[in-house]
Amino acid sequence: MMWLADLRTAALVGTGRHDAPVPPAELGFRAPDGLSREESLLDQAALADVVTRATRSASTVVDTARPSPAAVDNEPQASGEAARLLELLLTQPPVGLELRTQLVVDWLGLAGESRRRVPHRLLPALLTLAETRSIVFRSLEPAIGSRGRWLQEIKSLPAKAATQGPAMQHTQLRGREDTVDYHRLRGRDPSAAREQLRESWTSLSARERAGNLALFAGNLEEADEELLEKALDDKAKGVREVALRLLDQLPHSARATRMAARLRPLLQVKGLLSKRLDIDLPPAPDKEALRDGIPPDPRRGEPDRMARLEAIIKGAPLDVWTSVSGRNRSATTALLKDEPRVLDAMIAAVEARNDAEWARALLTVLTDRRLLDCLPVDERAHWLQRHIRESSDEPQTLAPLLQDLPQPWSVPLAEEVLTVISGKDGGRLAALLALELPTALPPEATERCRQLLARTDDDSARRRVLRDAVQYQSFRQSLTEAFR
Amino acid sequence: MGRWSEETVINAAPDSASLAAARKLAHPGPWSDSGSNDVLVWGKCQGSGKTPYQVSVDIVAPAYRCSCPSRKFPCKHALALLLLWSRGEAAQAGADTADFAKEWADQRADRASAKERRQTEQPADPEAQAKRLAARLALMDAGVEDFSRWLTDLARTGFSAARNQPYSWWDGVAARLVDSQLPGLAEQVRDMASRVHGRTDWADHLLLNAGRWWALTKAWTARDTLSSEEFADVKAALGWATASAEVQETESLAGPWLVLGAHRSDDGRLQQQRTWLRGPDGTVVVVLDFAGQGQGLAAPQLAGALLDVTVARYPGSAPQRAMFTGPVTPRGVATSLGPGITLGQVLDEESAAVARSPWRTRIPVLVGAATINPEGTGWLHDPNGDALPLVDAPLDSLLALTGGHAADIFCELDDGRLRPLTVVVDAIVVTP
Repeated sequence: MMWLADLRTAALVGTGRHDAPVPPAELGFRAPDGLSREESLLDQAALADVVTRATRSASTVVDTARPSPAAVDNEPQASGEAARLLELLLTQPPVGLELRTQLVVDWLGLAGESRRRVPHRLLPALLTLAETRSIVFRSLEPAIGSRGRWLQEIKSLPAKAATQGPAMQHTQLRGREDTVDYHRLRGRDPSAAREQLRESWTSLSARERAGNLALFAGNLEEADEELLEKALDDKAKGVREVALRLLDQLPHSARATRMAARLRPLLQVKGLLSKRLDIDLPPAPDKEALRDGIPPDPRRGEPDRMARLEAIIKGAPLDVWTSVSGRNRSATTALLKDEPRVLDAMIAAVEARNDAEWARALLTVLTDRRLLDCLPVDERAHWLQRHIRESSDEPQTLAPLLQDLPQPWSVPLAEEVLTVISGKDGGRLAALLALELPTALPPEATERCRQLLARTDDDSARRRVLRDAVQYQSFRQSLTEAFR
Repeated sequence: MGRWSEETVINAAPDSASLAAARKLAHPGPWSDSGSNDVLVWGKCQGSGKTPYQVSVDIVAPAYRCSCPSRKFPCKHALALLLLWSRGEAAQAGADTADFAKEWADQRADRASAKERRQTEQPADPEAQAKRLAARLALMDAGVEDFSRWLTDLARTGFSAARNQPYSWWDGVAARLVDSQLPGLAEQVRDMASRVHGRTDWADHLLLNAGRWWALTKAWTARDTLSSEEFADVKAALGWATASAEVQETESLAGPWLVLGAHRSDDGRLQQQRTWLRGPDGTVVVVLDFAGQGQGLAAPQLAGALLDVTVARYPGSAPQRAMFTGPVTPRGVATSLGPGITLGQVLDEESAAVARSPWRTRIPVLVGAATINPEGTGWLHDPNGDALPLVDAPLDSLLALTGGHAADIFCELDDGRLRPLTVVVDAIVVTP
């Protein structure tokens, strides 16, 4: 309306400099005589106020962004106590934040098992939590139901372009979004991903070649070797380094055979009873050796010949050692126990290839988390159990070994750990395991925790960890009962 | 008075930190000497000190006392005690009232009766009353005249100049209005300072509000020509409070009253709670509760609840402000709020409301079969394809509850925008 615009202008600059407009005749407004400019403006403002509010009309234009309705949820919603517990966890957590996260994950798992879904009203708080806690995000399915998925989709609408469409449609592997897609493709179909990278190899920048190639690490297979060999000739150092790292994972590759040929002449069994294994240092690398990743001579100073040996050990098959020594794996590693750098290189090779046999052999001479990671879960727990009982190491050295052990722990292991924790120097270990222990202990260990708590104890860190463990288990128990 | 639900206790908490602290205390361990009767809940809570804290709660007219030094009100001890009591885990009825609780209750009763005595004993002196009224009217007249002059100055110098003024300039005007016993107007002027600096459409907003203020000064001057209902609206807009004793004397309307929805706001100085109710004959009223910073607001009523209570209305045009005149007894929960209307009808209602009283800005509406659109700050669509913008809307919650399907949504229409307060989904009335 022109009148309103005129009125606004007059009001903005003031009637001292601008006359108040004349209201349109159709409003039927008859101003009293003798009004000052200011009074006329204010009178009309009052009229505008009433007219605006009395003649408002609804908008009909903004309809494009309205989401299509969510599909109907087939699963019944969790009700009663289960719903109340989730609400409590989301809005007024009675436990620490780490435990809360784990309990929400447990809730989602139990709901999924008993084919119940999250009540609709609790979805916003749950999805907000999932934004910052990836473990919650990964546990959302299937308990969030179709309403939850629908809500997630709406919340991610602005970012949708970034994750849309299957990677197969891309011919160029460029940018961050493509990397995300490529990662998914490699996880789903390694050979398709390999072919795609091979095809676009020349058109990619060095950084993109290295980045995409590095994604092979999760599920490397023999068939990838050819592309990796090709990458060894790449002009970019970054790409070559990625390829070398990946080839270390393949003990049957051509490069591994070449490395074996370099390692074998360096090893000699000596001594009257063949009880010594002498290791020579490798010669200066030739062109072939440089290509296989053996460090070149530095521009200045002495070359690190030990580093060359390490590169060879990491690349060669581990069986070279037994074939030279003529003994089994354990006996061979026993010969090496005074060679820490050699052992460390061997551990790296074991870790890269996830070789359980060699891990067992090496564990007889030294303790290392990387070796434990190569063992099956049960065996790890057994090994740790025995280690805790027999070793005289400081209690806190156990922390790194226990930290990434899959949870919950076995009952005997939990008993051993609790024994250490309740011992004289166990407080430090309790503090180091504060985040893991409450969720790692199995329900059977709760009673023991209660007993330990009942003891007078000045160590507040230890008390806190034990209290958390008891709290977690009792809440978890309530969850299980609520879903029964 | 019946036992509170846990939700009532939660809503009585001043903030979530207090509630979290209370939950940690809400187990029988630290509590002793607890008990309850129809009016009081009491108990002793062992804190870190030697003597336990003495906690008493009046559950009828919610009031809390605790011997702890917390400035939170109610404190975590009172909340914890109520939580335990609501779950039936402590403070069982039947015990003799503890001395400290009895003493406190007696003190409160004494104070209340003393106040009542003062009010009733002092014989109303009509002459003095008339003199006081005349003095107040004179003061207000002068204040209104002063404010009209300020408005004409504002119109002459222009809004652009006013926008360059600091907050203190607006506060100064508001302070003069308060001195002239026009606190309602003062509140609006004070709020305008932040809107002029914060809103993109500030010029239109100030223009329309200045017009409304101008009309209010004119209405005050011509008050002799107004009907009693119109004058009551003007009085309410200026902030002339009606004594609750006066309201209580008017006719009480019987229930059951259906709770349509409630809204809580906190502007840093004052907490306000509006509860919209609909009576058996379709009359809609709003109950207002206020509390200062750190004080506990009256426990909110659950949306969809049917309340067995009598209600008295303040003078003014519909929807009238009202107050409860008896104890509130929940009598069940409704599965629907009744038939909703379209957005076209919503706007017709606004026209009618503006015609009844131009000073009222909030209108309760129940939109039928509405869908939520999360675009921007949110929109509400009706089946006819019309849409109105939302304000203060918890969009995630609305979307989660409705799933983009049509639902009846109870809203306050405020300045052309809808503030959703209650949603009806699957025959359940919920607060988003």
